[in-house]
Amino acid sequence: MAASGSQPLLAVRDLVKVYPDGTVALNGVSLDFMAGEVHVLLGENGAGKTTLARIIYGEIRPTSGEVIYEGRRVLFRGPWEAIRAGIRMIYQHFSLVGGFTVADNIALYGSRLGLSRREALEAARRLAEEYGFRIPFDARVSDLPAGIQQRVEIVKALLVEPRVLILDEPTSLVSPLDVEALFRVIRGLREKGVAILYITHKLREVGVIGDRVTVMRRGRVVATLPAKKATVDQLARLMIGERRLPEEPRIAAAGAAGERGAALRVENLRVVREGFEAVRGVSLEVRPGEILGVTGVAGNGQDELVEAIVGVLPVAGGRITLLGRDVTREPTWVRYRLGLAYLPGSRKLSLVQEMNALENLALGLLGAGKLRGPFIDWGWVAKLLVKYVEELGVVMHSPYAPVKHLSGGNQQKLALARILAVEPRVLVAVDPTHGLDIATTRIVHSILAEMRSRGMAILLVSSDLDEVLQLSDRVAVMNSGRIVSIKKPHEYTLEELGRLMGGAA
Amino acid sequence: MIGLIISLLVVATRSSVPLILASVGEVVTEKAGIVNIGIEGFMLLAGVVAAVVDYATGSPLLGLLAGAGVGFILGLIHGAASAKLKANQIVLGIGINILAFGIGVAVLNHVWGNPGQSAPLPTIPPIRIDGYFTTPMFLAAIAIALAAHYIMTRTTLGLEISACGEDPHSAEALGVKVETLQTLVTAVAGILHGLAGAYLVVDYIGQFTRDITAGRGFIALAIVVLSNWNTILALAASYLLGLAEATALNLQAILGVPALSDLLNTLPYIAALVAITIYGVKARAPAWLGRPYIKE
Ligand SMILES: Nc1ncnc2c1ncn2[C@@H]1O[C@H](COP(=O)(O)OP(=O)(O)OP(=O)(O)O)[C@@H](O)[C@H]1O
Ligand SMILES: [Mg+2]
Repeated sequence: MAASGSQPLLAVRDLVKVYPDGTVALNGVSLDFMAGEVHVLLGENGAGKTTLARIIYGEIRPTSGEVIYEGRRVLFRGPWEAIRAGIRMIYQHFSLVGGFTVADNIALYGSRLGLSRREALEAARRLAEEYGFRIPFDARVSDLPAGIQQRVEIVKALLVEPRVLILDEPTSLVSPLDVEALFRVIRGLREKGVAILYITHKLREVGVIGDRVTVMRRGRVVATLPAKKATVDQLARLMIGERRLPEEPRIAAAGAAGERGAALRVENLRVVREGFEAVRGVSLEVRPGEILGVTGVAGNGQDELVEAIVGVLPVAGGRITLLGRDVTREPTWVRYRLGLAYLPGSRKLSLVQEMNALENLALGLLGAGKLRGPFIDWGWVAKLLVKYVEELGVVMHSPYAPVKHLSGGNQQKLALARILAVEPRVLVAVDPTHGLDIATTRIVHSILAEMRSRGMAILLVSSDLDEVLQLSDRVAVMNSGRIVSIKKPHEYTLEELGRLMGGAA
Repeated sequence: MIGLIISLLVVATRSSVPLILASVGEVVTEKAGIVNIGIEGFMLLAGVVAAVVDYATGSPLLGLLAGAGVGFILGLIHGAASAKLKANQIVLGIGINILAFGIGVAVLNHVWGNPGQSAPLPTIPPIRIDGYFTTPMFLAAIAIALAAHYIMTRTTLGLEISACGEDPHSAEALGVKVETLQTLVTAVAGILHGLAGAYLVVDYIGQFTRDITAGRGFIALAIVVLSNWNTILALAASYLLGLAEATALNLQAILGVPALSDLLNTLPYIAALVAITIYGVKARAPAWLGRPYIKE
């Protein structure tokens, strides 16, 4: 760990970053990173964490201030220079070329490090083995679930041992087991003297993996403290400042789920994706006013289950009944009109990034058959937008700006506002709080709880165990395409969940 | 009959050269994510400069080199404006086409005092094989197409280029100098476009005329789609369309129906349409083609 008085391996001094649109993302940030130390950077959405990382990695240039590496002032002209200097970054939104195979991505990265294709792939295989990652090297990246993409990212970053490793919210998409594996990797690198910059907004991770923690708020450093001594409450207060943290909704009491018939019923469902049977006989039921949580290690069939229910993937066997009607062979739009809504795991999928909030809402209404053509009553759409934007507290400058300019949290709130406006009866939500800070996460949880108490049937598919246990009336665990257990949340123990998710039932 | 077919096949080696050069260049450019619809203008400007140099020095080879140089400079401009300055690539291309036509006519007027055509110019000596004449440029074009294919499929440089066109953000994060690479690729492809234009003047036609390119730049663009962004298929398609051109010329000579050549010139477009319809989803453009890559 950081020997006091020793030189930092990497430091930033008085960094200021003003984006071309005038957003001040960093407002005078100075930090040190020691060899053999895990420095956690904690902050809410929009605090400037990713901006800081991108500057160190040479991807964008600071407006002013400097980066000092190995005692020298550096200004990397691009990631290629940072990579050569021994700095690696694992991005929050993965940075693999989707149209390429895993092997191509690794070969390309390896070539930056002076490795031949064969050397790079050999190194990757060795690392994958060492960490127990199963990686399909010949698969196209865009076909892989997020959890596996992340493993590719990790392996890729470690092809040649780095001196500095930046991880931007590495645990937001993966299961607790993967997190354990990741932490083992990080600890191993720390022993070898790698300086690690670990970005997160999960308070609990700070004490587990960190040596020092820096809290950022609105582009400034609020405090730097020893990670092991900081309490969760203390960090939360530093992170959100004066504002009050919204309460987590209480779910267990309500029990709105009556013994009415199931709104969504899946019977013995089988789904094949690219010749692989990803879902192998899943049966489940979601009743009105109930949240059924589905969790599991990424890549165990959750994505395929969801896509089959929504109608994006064809069904190989079994039956899907929506509000009493067999929709197994119906196209997606029919399901939407019947009252199904879908909140995909990636915000990029749920909103059309280049279109504005009004247009996005209109599209949602159109899909659900609530907006009649051929002429659009924009006044009505705007009224709906205003109503739900206020209800959910979406912060946006203008309903006419492309939604890509909204922060992640606001995009997710907008996507939820659209679902409320559409008034579906069944909602399939995937990782609804992925990448959101605690304040926003709690708001989203309250919205979901509210939807449930309005009688919506919600299938909540999430790899965030806390979230699933917190919100669900019942929790299903998926492994290898099967549901291995369905129980009430309090009937599980954490060890049991870990075992079930790992497949050792 | 056999004799006619053989002679058509041989003439096609000459008529296909500009299509091979231009389409191979454009395949690689588009793989890098940049679209260049100004190929026609590149060819025309390179052609007129080649004509002047050839005329002044009496060396068609110097003319060819000059044409390559013009293509390189235009490519550098188009590449830098697209990749670094994030200009609209379509507008840029149209601009180059319009500008090139104007400059061509102006130079014709100035040098030869005729807005339509130049004087006849010295040409590159043909190769004679068993009584048939072809051009060394055909061999050069094939070599270039094969080299491009090798680079695109077997080298990390090719992987880097494709990554720029697929997903520039990820490419950059993987350590690729996206903007620089896009600029350079467009410039090098510009050399091929320039060679294509110069070849028309100092070899194929032996004269510069204001409409010498006759839409070949656009045909090259169609070939790119037709080939599904594959340089070998682009080579093959270029040869077939060169054959169509040779046939059209011959039929014209035999039948005396000039209109037929215009009709036959629409062949590549029809072929592209048909092929795209048949391949359906299989023809897949680079995901980021023509879109400016903006980092912040
Ligand atoms: N390319 C960009 N152009 C304009 N503004 C940007 C850009 N990228 C980020 N911002 C803004 O800069 C601020 C800081 O963003 P940054 O991504 O660094 O935050 P973060 O701490 O990583 O947040 P999160 O936890 O959501 O990832 C935010 O207000 C964001 O909207
Ligand atoms: Mg971030």
